[in-house]
Amino acid sequence: MQTVAVFFGGQSAEHDVSIVTALTSIINPLELTKKYRVVPVYIAKDGQWYVHEKLKNVALYRSNDLKDVLAQVKPTGVILGNGMKLLVPTRLGGRKTIPVDIAFPAMHGTHGEDGELMGVFEMAGVPYVGCGVAAAAVAMDKVLAKQLVYAEGLPVTKGVWFHSQMLGQDSKAAIRQCAGLRYPLFVKPAHLGSSIGISRVENMTELQNGLEIAAHYDDKIIVEEAVHNLVEVTLPVMGNDNPEPALLEQPLLHAEDFFDFETKYLNGGKKSGKSMRSGGKKMGSKGAQGYSRIPADLPKELSEKAVKLALDVYRTLGCTGIARVDLLIDTKAKKVYFNEVNPLPGSLYAHNWAQAGISRVALVEKLTAYALERHAQRAKLTTTFTTNFLKQF
Amino acid sequence: MNRVLRNLYNFYAPLRISRSLTYMAQATEYQSFPFLRWLWQIQDFSAVMQRRSLEPTRAARLLRLGLLSGMFSQIILAFSLIYVSQNTPYDEIRWYGLALLVSYPIVWAHMLALFLALGRIIITEPRENRQAIQAAELFQKHPGNRIAIAGSYGKTSMKELLQTVLSEGLAVAATPANMNVVSSHLLFAQTLTGKEDVVLVEFGEGKPGDVAQFSAMVRPTQAVITGLAPAHLDQYKTLQAAGKDIFSLSRYVSPDNMYVNAESDAMLGFIKPKYQTYSRSNVLGWRVDKARTGLDGTSFELVKEKKHLKFHSGLVGLHQVGPLAFAAAFGLTCGLSEKEVKTGVGKTTPFEHRMQPYKLSGAWVIDDTYNGNLEGIRAGTELLAGLKAKRKMYITPGLVDQGKETADIHRQVGRLIAAAQPDVVVLMRNSVTADIQAGLDDTDYKGELLVQDNPLEFYTNLSNFVATGDVVLMQNDWTDNYH
Repeated sequence: MQTVAVFFGGQSAEHDVSIVTALTSIINPLELTKKYRVVPVYIAKDGQWYVHEKLKNVALYRSNDLKDVLAQVKPTGVILGNGMKLLVPTRLGGRKTIPVDIAFPAMHGTHGEDGELMGVFEMAGVPYVGCGVAAAAVAMDKVLAKQLVYAEGLPVTKGVWFHSQMLGQDSKAAIRQCAGLRYPLFVKPAHLGSSIGISRVENMTELQNGLEIAAHYDDKIIVEEAVHNLVEVTLPVMGNDNPEPALLEQPLLHAEDFFDFETKYLNGGKKSGKSMRSGGKKMGSKGAQGYSRIPADLPKELSEKAVKLALDVYRTLGCTGIARVDLLIDTKAKKVYFNEVNPLPGSLYAHNWAQAGISRVALVEKLTAYALERHAQRAKLTTTFTTNFLKQF
Repeated sequence: MNRVLRNLYNFYAPLRISRSLTYMAQATEYQSFPFLRWLWQIQDFSAVMQRRSLEPTRAARLLRLGLLSGMFSQIILAFSLIYVSQNTPYDEIRWYGLALLVSYPIVWAHMLALFLALGRIIITEPRENRQAIQAAELFQKHPGNRIAIAGSYGKTSMKELLQTVLSEGLAVAATPANMNVVSSHLLFAQTLTGKEDVVLVEFGEGKPGDVAQFSAMVRPTQAVITGLAPAHLDQYKTLQAAGKDIFSLSRYVSPDNMYVNAESDAMLGFIKPKYQTYSRSNVLGWRVDKARTGLDGTSFELVKEKKHLKFHSGLVGLHQVGPLAFAAAFGLTCGLSEKEVKTGVGKTTPFEHRMQPYKLSGAWVIDDTYNGNLEGIRAGTELLAGLKAKRKMYITPGLVDQGKETADIHRQVGRLIAAAQPDVVVLMRNSVTADIQAGLDDTDYKGELLVQDNPLEFYTNLSNFVATGDVVLMQNDWTDNYH
């Protein structure tokens, strides 16, 4: 039986979302397959790693007992090289070694989803689920991702970017840089997911505020023009060399509105106020996974265009395993723009895959298979060779 | 090692073992032989209570108290002997003490079986006889039409169909749910007012003589026999013996008031020329036509000369056409109008856990977990074969109480499953799994086979195994006392 280590938590604003992803969409289905021994690796907010069966219980994170349990469990060590081994403290004061056969990251945001953790797996030479170091790092940097996609000739919205530091030094220069853009604009931290720190601004005063908010979260800010007649869609994609799409998903929000963190996770998908009403009909009231329409309500031609663009973006950024591509559609102009890529979608977007005909159990099985496939491919590559370089000294 | 220690703890902790044993007695309806059969198969007492837990009824509390008293008495006696042995030259006393200490759970588990057997002879049977006499008085003085419904399968469904249809024009009373033993019949008889036009009584059969006893008690005016299939063969031994018991109804009901399902092959030898028969093609002088079924229900027509009566029911499966057509035709013979009968048939909807479709994570799940016989498997697999789906999944633990024929029957089950060509077959690991697998192998089944060790975990997490476009058929479910 192979050991799958599921990594979650982490030093990120999306720490709690990561716990939900790991426990509901990864650990439980993996255990149901009866094919794997599943080891939870919880990364606390202070960066310490912990391994214990108790950490599979979601109730622990809702209670106030987490600190006590972590104090009892004690931090886990790790050995890299020729595979990954977890060094787990035992009750008697010793340490037991758990070799990891497959790593399954369930991390969102910084220090996990952005390629850092993937780097650890690469160093260890352990197969891991999801995007590689470069794809994850680029995807998590909205600026880099757009530059790469744009360079490949794929459509992106017009925008500018700058370092947050610039705001402190010369905020007017930053505002001036946005002068060529047409309001309304979106101001986003370049590295954060789950819509954290994003503002929609209508004028220069709001822009100033938006920039300050974004700078609070990130050292890199992107400002983009809003798309008119907007339909926002997202498409989960899975696979290595031949990626397969799930179903186009459309958040059920008012067109002028956007999808912020509070709506997605804290209000259970329910946005308060009139913006949630469209034609007198209340929408998105089915909880965290009920905020959207699957498949998106789009003409066939636009749907096909959107799916094609998403797959092109997935390949362009070098994504593997799984990712989610967000797109913006101007329904009148019939134009589709790339918005961003999420290299590890929350809860793996299992609800969408289920509608596409892939159960939660099948989803994690496919993802582990893709991880092993990519690892096998990479193992064939030559990474070291003998030279007489040192003999010359 | 941990598991061995846990087993020993669960076996030797008096509070735990007494609870497990009492639960087992309760789950086997306080019958000594099923209790013993279960007891002798158990390897892990911590896993005894999986599906349910001990109901603290008066009988259960008394039993547990008795067990605990006995166990503690034996433990005290054991320690006393060991203590006494230290001051005597008789070494064997110490060994007697140790033997008593080691054996107390085994001794009291078997003592419990003995108590259950004695309790049945001294308490239960005399009480049932008294109840049968009381119930007979109440039933026999009732002026309404008393219809007995018997058979190895389909009787609860038939009772509910008749109740739904006939209630459109008549005052109908029926035994509740699938309660079909003497004590429940007495309770039902006590609720009758005498104003009912029709009284529907379901006859359960568990051992030879059961149907004969019910017949003598109710003295039905009419009888419906829904089918004969291997069930309770641990008691009946042969299908012939089960059929003989079910058809003992004919001693009390005139042949022209016997309505028999002609689609049940096993019954053909019991059907006499004067009996009236029903099937998915003919019923009480009507021809059944244009039968169709899907997840949205079943439709059919009754045709006689130039008359065409169209019906639609929420029930799922072509095997329902015969019973539905019978309920409709019987309603007409009872004087209901065509409109009333159509309305009644239209009101029939799937019964809980019997071919009951529902949506789960985008998939269609057909819950047939109350099914428990080969004919039900045949009906279910036929239905699955006929449905369109992106992926078909068939789930079963197999059938219980199939007696000596269990291996052959489960091999047939395997072949029936394979004929439906599901993409995935999920079996629950138990004593019949290998036989079902052999049946699948006979037909060179090419789909995926999953064998689950923990049925409860699988059923609880079914939503994680299915997705949109799947059709899942779950047939039968085993309680804790079957392995």
